[in-house]
Amino acid sequence: MQRADITKDNLQLGARAAKVTWLAGAIGLVAIAAAVLLGLLSSDGGESFATAYLTAFVFFLTLALGALFFVLLQHVTGAGWGVVVRRPAEAIAGVFPLFAVLSIPLLFNLHSIYPWAGGEAASDHVLAGKAAYLNVPFFLIRWIAYFGIWSLMASYFRRTSARQDGSGDPALTIKMERLSAPGMVVFALTATFFSFDVLMSRDPHWYSTIYGVYLFSGSVVGFCAVLPLLTLSLQRWGRIQHAVTREHYHDLGKLTFAFVVFWAYIAFSQFMLMWYSNIPEETSWYLRRLSGPWSGFSLILLLGHFVIPFWLLISRGVKRRPATLAFAASWVLLMHLLDVYWLTMPESSPTSLGFSLMHVLCLAGVGALMIAAVTYNLSRSALIPVGDPRLDESLSFENV
Amino acid sequence: MKTAIPDSTVDDPRVRPELILGGNDFTTVTDKVAGLMERPRPPRAWYIAFAVSLALTGVLVAMIGYLVLTGVGVWGLNNPVGWGFDITNFVFWVGIGHAGTLISAILFLFRQKWRTSINRFAEAMTIFAVVCAGLFPAIHVGRIWLAWWLFPLPNQQQVWPNFRSPLLWDVFAVSSYMFVSLMFWYMGMIPDLATLRDRAKTKVRQIVYGIFSLGWRGSNRQWHRYERAYLLLAALATPLVVSVHSVVSFDFAASQLPGWHTTVFPPYFVAGAIFSGFAMVMMLIIPARQYFGLKDIVTMRHLDNMSKIILATGSMVGFAYAIEFFMAWYSGNPYEMFTFLNRAMGPYSWAYWIMVSCNVLTPQLFWFKKLRGSIPVLFVASILINVGMWFERFVIIVTSLSRDFLPGSWLSYTPTYVEILTFAGSFGLFFTLFLLFVRYLPMVAMAEVKSVMPQAHLEEGIHKGLGDYWGDMPQQHGEKGGHHRGGKS
Amino acid sequence: MTAAQKHSGTPVQGAAPVPDTGVFGLLAEFQTVPQLMAAAEKVRDAGYIHWDSHTPFPVHGLSDAMGLKPTRLPYVVLAGGLIGGAVGLLMQWWMNAIDYPLVISGKPLFSIPANIPVMFELTVLCAAIGAFLGMLVMNGLPALYHPLLTNDRFRRATADRFFISIEADDPKFDAEGTAGFLRSLGSSAVEEVRG
Repeated sequence: MQRADITKDNLQLGARAAKVTWLAGAIGLVAIAAAVLLGLLSSDGGESFATAYLTAFVFFLTLALGALFFVLLQHVTGAGWGVVVRRPAEAIAGVFPLFAVLSIPLLFNLHSIYPWAGGEAASDHVLAGKAAYLNVPFFLIRWIAYFGIWSLMASYFRRTSARQDGSGDPALTIKMERLSAPGMVVFALTATFFSFDVLMSRDPHWYSTIYGVYLFSGSVVGFCAVLPLLTLSLQRWGRIQHAVTREHYHDLGKLTFAFVVFWAYIAFSQFMLMWYSNIPEETSWYLRRLSGPWSGFSLILLLGHFVIPFWLLISRGVKRRPATLAFAASWVLLMHLLDVYWLTMPESSPTSLGFSLMHVLCLAGVGALMIAAVTYNLSRSALIPVGDPRLDESLSFENV
Repeated sequence: MKTAIPDSTVDDPRVRPELILGGNDFTTVTDKVAGLMERPRPPRAWYIAFAVSLALTGVLVAMIGYLVLTGVGVWGLNNPVGWGFDITNFVFWVGIGHAGTLISAILFLFRQKWRTSINRFAEAMTIFAVVCAGLFPAIHVGRIWLAWWLFPLPNQQQVWPNFRSPLLWDVFAVSSYMFVSLMFWYMGMIPDLATLRDRAKTKVRQIVYGIFSLGWRGSNRQWHRYERAYLLLAALATPLVVSVHSVVSFDFAASQLPGWHTTVFPPYFVAGAIFSGFAMVMMLIIPARQYFGLKDIVTMRHLDNMSKIILATGSMVGFAYAIEFFMAWYSGNPYEMFTFLNRAMGPYSWAYWIMVSCNVLTPQLFWFKKLRGSIPVLFVASILINVGMWFERFVIIVTSLSRDFLPGSWLSYTPTYVEILTFAGSFGLFFTLFLLFVRYLPMVAMAEVKSVMPQAHLEEGIHKGLGDYWGDMPQQHGEKGGHHRGGKS
Repeated sequence: MTAAQKHSGTPVQGAAPVPDTGVFGLLAEFQTVPQLMAAAEKVRDAGYIHWDSHTPFPVHGLSDAMGLKPTRLPYVVLAGGLIGGAVGLLMQWWMNAIDYPLVISGKPLFSIPANIPVMFELTVLCAAIGAFLGMLVMNGLPALYHPLLTNDRFRRATADRFFISIEADDPKFDAEGTAGFLRSLGSSAVEEVRG
């Protein structure tokens, strides 16, 4: 196969971006305002709003974390194949400042999300023992650190790569490769402790050392599903039509497959060890998820997040056809949403699934704002890193 | 042989570095690798090493004989510490045995073509390490003549094994791994055995290599299925290799013992296994490439790549130590907290700090390119890492067992000379097998190395820069980089 | 019975007469990969069926150049995996829940989570055996005799030379014409192989 010819490709998002950004931004703000309003009117002290908002916030944020990981991974391995899809990943990873702002409603509702932040913490001696870590001021400090670090990292790699568009300077690639390795260490630390803070401490008695890996694996699965959907939409809009080929989609499909299996491995490891050891303080978390309506939900997760995508994505044909890949990716994305929902909701709604209009509003709101931010980021530079020294390799990439 | 080998570790994102240096072509690669086995006799150093290894193997046999004739009382095990050197050695050797399949299977799936120079070597190491590993659970069961009860075979008591026990999963995991690794290794070797057959000068060699090469004739209709089978085996071996050390970790983590029961064990054990396996490959390949004149096939870039993997996996291991420590505190469980403090400050703290300094601090040297390029640093670091990884298993097993929930039942553990000599003897077995391997079998996968050399590809057309790792990328601005190769085209 | 005898016993459609002379076929040597690839494409286009290329390592793209169809090996592997998994699960169920039920650590007699590791290992093991044995059987290995292996020049097919062999039982085979055709493809040596 020859190097793909991108001379006729439209590599700029152009005026289209502004329209999408404004429209999505407006929808997002309206939806979130409606959710806040609904929360204020409800009699539960904002708890239903806070938990629904948390679900949406974490779901979309994990996609950005997956994107940041992908960008770091591309640099740290010096990968060639993925150069043409790195810009969309950089754009998704560029939403951390937005999420820092979007976290304000959460931070005002910590008491209704986390038992350790509420009134009952004082009377619980286990929580008293953890108070040195689980307290509001320290939580806020960590929160600021996470978002500051992620924003800086994402912005550094996006800007450096954009700078290379003009100069084509290979030294910039080497610089990014050098920084990506310590970047991975920082990413691992922040993502792990973030997962403990934002979701694991929803049940502050419960703990699992693999929890960070679990949320990480789900994040990458979600991102791997979003990336082909985003590039397919860009191609649908007449952009980067020759640059991204079925070979790249095939590889993205393989990556999704690999992380679906990795997720299942991590999920099984955690479940197996807790089920087998049967220690009450650990099994309580699973008991909640395996009783009542949640047991069916867990089964759906097992089938939908592992078995079905496994058989879907093992096929070469499915990964290479845009329509089937788009279906598989949408399915996997939906399952990642269910996974986040399953991680978040049973603590506040143990006897029912607790799904309400609030979830729809929050998901629509955060999601629309994310779309606005991603399109805005995409419009700031070319849609593929035209100055990357490995662009040619990526353009002529072919699976064996 | 060329004396000056160019430096292929320089980072230039515009060009993929060449994998095989020194102006080799297909003929010289074949001559160089096959020639090693065709010499009438190996160098004197081989005989010395073989004699030492064989003597140590004799020690192993003697110690096992003593153990069988006397009973496990000859070891230092006691009531709380029912696992000591035996299981430490088992996990240590299984861990070593992970690099081979990682290099052959996972790096294959990741299109890391540099693996071809070292995969045969690492696969052989895997198999010998698994042989050593399998020994220890078999001899620690007490009445070892009944070890076959581990398998679901009909016996006169009409009892079946308990499949709900992690120890039985281990039997299945390790034996499947052994079998699949063996198939993978052998299948990879068939074309090379055919090369040896076709070059054989003596009748014995013709017959032996002839039988084991199965009549391979390099037909493309055969290669066509062979390559598919190789890909499928790689795709199967990848989850298998992950599962093996995960199952080994279940032996500990499925219990309720503080320090053993923690959910991060499966991925953390896998990372540690890869870490130690790569360190062992490094330790073995550094003298081998020196002695056998393979520096242009196993280049500094190969060592550089391996040390980066060691750094990555070593950091994962260090990260897991930190998370475990944090979670012991966060759990609020006094037994968990005690176990971890006891590790760092209790009677076995010396072992703990050996572990931390070897496993966490040593690989950090590899952040620096200069140190990654220094053979003495690489060699010493890889030995230290192996020491550290042995102590990791020792710390996990012994500290947790010797001081568990009830202080009244605490007891410390000291190995006897029998255990120490058995462990030393297992190295004898490992090196004996390894030395036989480098003497009689191709230690570099000739066919695979040839397939990643520039001459294996068309000048132009469908193979240009297909994510291959062999070079040939066009330069940034139009002009072609051309072939940066010696050798003839 | 040698391969050539076997082949000569097979009736062949087409005009070319089958020479029953104990000739296995023709072997043409090539020096480089590009020469071999170009030649393989021409042999394919010339309509030969019973022919093969021989290389010391798998040459990427050669299967396309030869017009080979994808192998059905993956189905063998899939079957192996399914059999291994099913046997693994049924074995554990029958042995632990039916034939010798024993309550251990309060787990159900048939507890799927605890049965997954062994089931998984057997799935992989049987699938891998399927891949290995399937490859050998489909490739007709082990074969301890083959006419080509008697040719001295062919010894380099596993080292550093590339070959195309066209068998005598190919309908288009004609000792003179085929040899000339192979020479015209840039072969450095064309030899007759007797079987």
